[in-house]
Amino acid sequence: MHSIFSRINNVSALLSSCMMALFAAIALSSFVFTADPKGDLGLLSVKVYPASGAKKAHSKQELAFVNFNVTADLRPLFHWNTKQLFVWVEAEFNNTKKSENAVAIWDRIIRRKDDANLKVSGKNKYMLRELTKSFKNAEPAHYTLKYNVMPYVGVLTYGEAARTNAPVEFPLVQKRV
Amino acid sequence: MFSEEIKNFKRLGFRHVLLQLLNFATVIASGLMIWKGLGLVTNSESPIVVVLSGSMEPAFYRGDLLFLTNPVNERYQTGDITVYKIPGADIPIVHRVLETHDDKKKDKQLLLTKGDNNYVDDLELYQGLQWLERKHIVGKVRGFLPYIGYVTIAMNDFPQLKYALLGGLGLLALIQRE
Repeated sequence: MHSIFSRINNVSALLSSCMMALFAAIALSSFVFTADPKGDLGLLSVKVYPASGAKKAHSKQELAFVNFNVTADLRPLFHWNTKQLFVWVEAEFNNTKKSENAVAIWDRIIRRKDDANLKVSGKNKYMLRELTKSFKNAEPAHYTLKYNVMPYVGVLTYGEAARTNAPVEFPLVQKRV
Repeated sequence: MFSEEIKNFKRLGFRHVLLQLLNFATVIASGLMIWKGLGLVTNSESPIVVVLSGSMEPAFYRGDLLFLTNPVNERYQTGDITVYKIPGADIPIVHRVLETHDDKKKDKQLLLTKGDNNYVDDLELYQGLQWLERKHIVGKVRGFLPYIGYVTIAMNDFPQLKYALLGGLGLLALIQRE
């Protein structure tokens, strides 16, 4: 058959299979890049205050405030199929027998290779809190710097770039100044 | 205008129509089987979703296609991008996990999520719930294809397009002979 429909049909079928093959090739190619960059994460201070939130859901609980330093060169993670990096600092801590917590306290989206050499000294963007609403029984926390490589096409990959050397204790709750 | 086609149609006869209908049904049935099979393998009620909102920009734009899995014995971690559906909400939401709290007494994992492009976490979206739980989650995002799903958004935004496409395909299936 050489009707106009069959021609359209053939051309679009060929086009879509070629596209799919190309996408698959690109997605597979990113497995070749296995960079595993490491950096440093240092804690400057940790303080615990009672929350004075206006929101009902957030009131009557303790919040921790963290100052930290991050230096990490994540430029090796950028290759031709890297759309962006999502990096975040996470606090991981247990509460004796009650809960295991992992809380992202800071994050950043990196869209260009030039911006991937991280030198940040910052404080938590998001609330650091415990499930029981108190840090009294919380064990010392590990802080880690993690990243998520997001591709133009294909599989999302995750990794850890830094970790504090020793767990850091939560101090006793202070009165709000 | 369509006299040629109608003549053709009459010449092919009733059996041909039945055969084409059967072909059409096979296509639909195999599509459904693949979809449900994928759902079984990935343990997700909807293993492929289309991004409907811009709250994860610049990572995901409207129309991007996401592939999900939801393994039974794997816990969720911060940084995972989950698709969740709150009872009472009509569309599933694609957002990143910000906090996980494993409650050891109740043996439950409680989650809080946030869209990369939003300034605040999703507590307002949970319709009164304090935390997200496993039962709300459709799956974790594993893979990504840009813009392919935009067709479905276009069809939702312009229903005429959907009917035109369906009608056209149906007509072609009946008329064409192989």
